[in-house]
Amino acid sequence: MIEVKEEDLIRCPVCDAVNINKGKENVCRRCGSAIYRHRKFNTEKSWAFLVTAIIAYIPANLYPMLITSAFGNREGSTILGGVVLLWELESYPVAIIIFIASILIPVMKFLILIYLLISVKYPLGKDKKINKHKLYYMTEVIGPWSMIDVFVVAILAALIHLSSVEILAGTAATAFAISVFFTLLAAHAFDETLIKDNR
Amino acid sequence: MKLENEDALDHYIICHQCFTLQKEIDIADGTKACCAECGGLLYRYDSKLIDHTLAWSMTGIIFFVLANAFPLIKIDLLGSEQFITLPKTIASLFENGFYVVGFFCIFLIFIFPLMIFLINILIFSLLKMGKGEKATKELLILLSHIKPWGMADIFFISILVALVKLIAFGQIHIGVSFWALMIFVMIDIYITKNIQLHEIWMLRKRIFLAQKCEEATA
Ligand SMILES: [Zn+2]
Ligand SMILES: [Zn+2]
Repeated sequence: MIEVKEEDLIRCPVCDAVNINKGKENVCRRCGSAIYRHRKFNTEKSWAFLVTAIIAYIPANLYPMLITSAFGNREGSTILGGVVLLWELESYPVAIIIFIASILIPVMKFLILIYLLISVKYPLGKDKKINKHKLYYMTEVIGPWSMIDVFVVAILAALIHLSSVEILAGTAATAFAISVFFTLLAAHAFDETLIKDNR
Repeated sequence: MKLENEDALDHYIICHQCFTLQKEIDIADGTKACCAECGGLLYRYDSKLIDHTLAWSMTGIIFFVLANAFPLIKIDLLGSEQFITLPKTIASLFENGFYVVGFFCIFLIFIFPLMIFLINILIFSLLKMGKGEKATKELLILLSHIKPWGMADIFFISILVALVKLIAFGQIHIGVSFWALMIFVMIDIYITKNIQLHEIWMLRKRIFLAQKCEEATA
C-alpha cells in the first residue's frame, strides 16, 4: 500500500498516464517520457518560443500577405488591409474569419500565454477565480486555426498565375507561418503542472 | 488517497480540459465517459475498437490518395481553365521561392495527416495480432507527438474561404478531390478527436497482460 496526496499526481503530457510527482527525476511509468524535468528552467523555454513568435508577428503585419498583379498593376495587401478590403467588398463572413484567424487568435494566444507564464511565477493577487487550465486548453485548441490565411494564400497563388493576372504570396506569409509555428511550440512547452503548484 | 501500487493509478485519469483527477468507471459499450467537473470527454468504450479503427483508417487512406490525385478547384480565367491539386498547391510554393511556407504546408497538410493514419493502421494491426509490445509503445509515443500538428481540417476550411475570394476572378468548378478531401477530413476528425490515446494505451495493456497470464499458466 502506498499513500499519495491528490496534489502530487500529474499527467504525462505524452501518454496521459497519471504519475506521482517525484520532482526532478520524473519519468513516466507508462511511456518513459521525461515529464518537465527541468524545474529550474520551467518557463524559460516557453518564453523563448513566445518572444520569437511575437517578433515574427511584427513583419507579418507590416509586409504584404498577398500581391495581386493584374494587367501590369501590382498591388500588395497586408493582413489588416486584406480584412478591410474584404469588408468593403461586402464579403463579411470571410472578412470575419480572416480577422479572427489572423489577428484575434494570435494576439489572444500571445496575451494568454504571457499571462499564464507570469502568473505561475508571480501570483497576481485575485486571479484564483480564473480557470487557468481552461485558458490553456483553449489556446491549444484554437491555436492552429490561425494557419487559415497562410493556406488561403497558398491556394490562391497556386491557382491564379497567368501572365496577365497573377496572385503571389507576400513576405508576410513566411513571417506569419513562422509566428504561428513558434506560438504552437511555446504552448506545447508550457508546463501545465506549474498552474497546480501555484494554487 | 491510498493505492495498492503505482499501477493502480491506471484506474484514474486527469481531465484534459480542467486537470482534475477523475476515477475511471466501467461504461457500456459504445458510450463515453465525461469529466464530472467540466464535462470534457475523458474516454469512450468500444469493444470493437481495433476493427473499427482499422476500417476507418484504411478508408481514410483511400480518400487521401483520391484527394491528391484529382483537381481540387478549377477556374475559368480569361478564357483558359486553371486547376490545382493538393500536391500542386504545395509545389507551387516551392517554385515561387516560399520554401518556409512550403515546408510547413508539406508537413501540416500532407505528411502528418498521412502519418497519423499509417501509424494508426500499424498500431491496431499489431494489437490485433497481439505482437510488438515495444513497437506499439514507440508508435503510440510518436502518434501523440504528431497528433497536434495534423491540419487537414484547417486546410479544408481554407479551401472554402479561398472559394469565396475566387468568385471575383471567374467561374469556379469544384473538383473530385474536393469531395474526397472532405470525406478524408471527416474521418480524420473522428480518428484524432474521438479516439483518445488513453483508450489505445489501456487496450494495449489489456492485450499484453492477458498474454502474460496465459504464458504463466501454460
Ligand atoms: Zn507517459
Ligand atoms: Zn474536466
